[in-house]
Amino acid sequence: MMTASLNEYVIISALLFMIGFFGVLLRRNTLVVFMSLELMLIASTLALVAFSRFNSTMDGNIFVFFILTVAAAEVAVGLAIIVALYRRRRTVQLDELNSLKH
Amino acid sequence: MTPVTLALVVLLAPLVSAALIALFLRRRGGLASAVSLAAALAVAVAGLALALGGDAYRFTASAVWLQLGTFSLSLGIKFDDLAALMLSVVGIVGVCVHVFSLGYMREDAAKARYFGGLSIFMFSMLGIVFADNLFMMFIFWELVGFSSWLLINHWHERAAPAAASKKAFIANRVGDFGFLLGIVMCYWANGTVNLDELAAGNNVYSTLIPLLLFCGAVGKSAQLPLQVWLPDAMEGPTPVSALIHAATMVAAGIYMLCRINVLMVPDALTVIMWTGVATALYAALCAIVQSDIKKVLAYSTLSQLGYMVAAFGLGSLEVAHGDHSHLVATGVGAAMFHLTTHAFFKALMFLGSGSVIHGCHHEQDIFKMGGLAKKMPVTFVTFTLGVAAIIGFPLLAGFFSKDAILYLAFAKNQVVFALLALTAVLTALYMVRLWKLTFLGTPRSDAAAHAHEGGLSLTAPLIVLAVLTVLGGYTGLYPNVFSGVFALIPIAHGADHTIVLLTSVGVMTLGAVVALALYAPAASDSLRQKSPGLFGALTALQFSFDHGYDYYVAKVQQRFALFLNFLEQIFLAGLIVRGLAGIVGLVGLGTRALHVGRVNVYVYWFLAGVVILWIYASEIF
Amino acid sequence: MAPYLFFFFATFTVLCAVGVIVNKNAVNAAFCLVLCLVGVAGLFVQLDAYFLAFILLLVYAGAVVALFLFIIMLLDVQGRQTAGFSGITTFSALMAFALLLTGLGTIAVKGHLDAPRLNRLAAEGAHLKPYAQQLFTTYLLPVQIIGFLLLIAMLGVIVLSRKHEAAEAAP
Repeated sequence: MMTASLNEYVIISALLFMIGFFGVLLRRNTLVVFMSLELMLIASTLALVAFSRFNSTMDGNIFVFFILTVAAAEVAVGLAIIVALYRRRRTVQLDELNSLKH
Repeated sequence: MTPVTLALVVLLAPLVSAALIALFLRRRGGLASAVSLAAALAVAVAGLALALGGDAYRFTASAVWLQLGTFSLSLGIKFDDLAALMLSVVGIVGVCVHVFSLGYMREDAAKARYFGGLSIFMFSMLGIVFADNLFMMFIFWELVGFSSWLLINHWHERAAPAAASKKAFIANRVGDFGFLLGIVMCYWANGTVNLDELAAGNNVYSTLIPLLLFCGAVGKSAQLPLQVWLPDAMEGPTPVSALIHAATMVAAGIYMLCRINVLMVPDALTVIMWTGVATALYAALCAIVQSDIKKVLAYSTLSQLGYMVAAFGLGSLEVAHGDHSHLVATGVGAAMFHLTTHAFFKALMFLGSGSVIHGCHHEQDIFKMGGLAKKMPVTFVTFTLGVAAIIGFPLLAGFFSKDAILYLAFAKNQVVFALLALTAVLTALYMVRLWKLTFLGTPRSDAAAHAHEGGLSLTAPLIVLAVLTVLGGYTGLYPNVFSGVFALIPIAHGADHTIVLLTSVGVMTLGAVVALALYAPAASDSLRQKSPGLFGALTALQFSFDHGYDYYVAKVQQRFALFLNFLEQIFLAGLIVRGLAGIVGLVGLGTRALHVGRVNVYVYWFLAGVVILWIYASEIF
Repeated sequence: MAPYLFFFFATFTVLCAVGVIVNKNAVNAAFCLVLCLVGVAGLFVQLDAYFLAFILLLVYAGAVVALFLFIIMLLDVQGRQTAGFSGITTFSALMAFALLLTGLGTIAVKGHLDAPRLNRLAAEGAHLKPYAQQLFTTYLLPVQIIGFLLLIAMLGVIVLSRKHEAAEAAP
């Protein structure tokens, strides 16, 4: 078995990112879309930590902190919006949330 | 009072009068007439004081009005002998016309507007007289055109005066366009339009500049081809015709030509001369077949203006003084001399005709007059003096000025001399015809039968002008103060003098005798009865210009305008304006289509952006 | 042992990620996300970032995903019969997949991310001290700003919820 080198970590990170992107693209439930978004963030943290490890620096690790915090804040606000939207529209399906259509 | 102050009084008194009348005295006709008369008197008195004051009262003064970078427009007064002479003429004739108007317009309802118009006209005319640069002259030129429009349009309730005033204004405007082009070209070529600076002589001499400036005179002094407005302008009240369309405004063109004499070149002078000759001959031919007393006088004015322009065009002469000779600007001298004498006798005749019209209760057809010699003696005598002057009866004013022009023509261009002599025959013909039909014989209508002399306000100006007509030709009588102009008058000597004298007396006699013999005091035109062909031809000649202009405007210009309109609708309005708007609309539609409302679609656009970025970053292209 | 662990955790993470996006039930998707996070934490441990792994589980899995679950339960979303994907969706999905393959292939074949072997490099993030050192010196300003961000987010959530209540409460 090969030892894991930086290449492999980056590949995994890319894979996770793409899977998250597919989720955003293809899912219709707003909450699942949001979760896929989180997946993309996780992928980027993985890449950061991998690079940080293989370059012997702390910067990537520290950055993960910030990403974490920002993700938390974003989730909070986003879910508040979704809840508010649900109360008005009684739905969280994306194709029914299209009142901004021209 | 200093000369400058006097000049400002002269210039601004009528303006103040006009302002007062326009603002406060619109309904107070009597008071308005008094104010206007006071202004005219002020102009006359102050003007004569300035003019007769001699060299001490000759000055130039100016003030800068607009300064735009290197270009500056100044308003100033150039008061030399030429301006002094013109000022005297304008002042005297102005007062006479104002006094006459008191009587003539007594029952008119819009008297205040009339006198306001007279005042603003005086102001504008004096502005032209005083102007020391061409821009200022142009400003007052336009103002004079406006005043003329206002006064011709006095009885605007009727269609004819309204149309006539518009025609006058438009014809003048066409001439003024050329005038303005000439001024701009002069400024461009010489860097200045100040008359004194131009006179210093370092000018670019081109044929185009004086010809363009002459366009202004063609419009204002009604030369061919823009003479069409002057006969129609007779729709205005008679005193207006006397003041504006006989003595002063139409003379402004001649005055302007004399002012820009320094810019003239021989080619331009030739064109000017032939224009004047053509106008004189044409107008004389048309005058023979007129039946309205004022129209005869209008064509007569046209003809005399042609004389003046021709005289100017004839240019300078080498005059011998002892054993050396030098160039004298005889064109200027002859033209201005004739302008002065013409102002007197033409104003006299117009006011006389006004008296006749007033006496005959606004009857203007000479075939309905007759026998007025006994009914209106003062008018008859003064009018006779005027007629005699214009046909060149010896010893009267017109004789001397006409002889000067004939001598000048004889000395410079024999063909022109012959044509002017022929015109003199015609002048005598139609003037004597007018005189005979109006005053002699028996009354041919009730109005003429009950004619009576007007009051003092109508006759006094006639007498004053008659005196000037008799005495105005004797340049020796004028104080030396006009020597700047009168020294330029060509004086014939020896054999030339005899030839010219004989010619002028001869043509006068010929024309007068023919007229007296031909025209019987009948109710219709004898010429029409005896040779209708000739009569018809002359009438057609009279209307030829009007028909030509009609055809041009209706057929040529209108079609061109419609064609341009079509182009504009398609290209400018359609393609460019609406096209641009359409493009903006399309862009809006396009961007609007992007707003689908579904989040997925927006994500697709992200994806597309990523793809593009990737392609760009991978540097495939 | 280490390579096996890496392989195991990597596969596990990817499979759970796929599970997140495939699951029709939102609750199942959330649980898959938790498992995914566990996998990533494991990968972090492989990279000697123990503290981060712990924090990830605590904060992300413990707080964020829990919040997700609360909301899913609150909204009581039923798994619905979803209509098939439209044409453009399929097309973009295929396009994205192609891109992914290209990218991954490029990295795999051409990626010269040369790095020495792990045991030769110092593991900076293995201990707590470097984190504290960096956070409170070099990265102090971002920390403060993050604090503000959290404050704003909190205020925003309160406002968003309250506004709606006020509108609802109005008679």
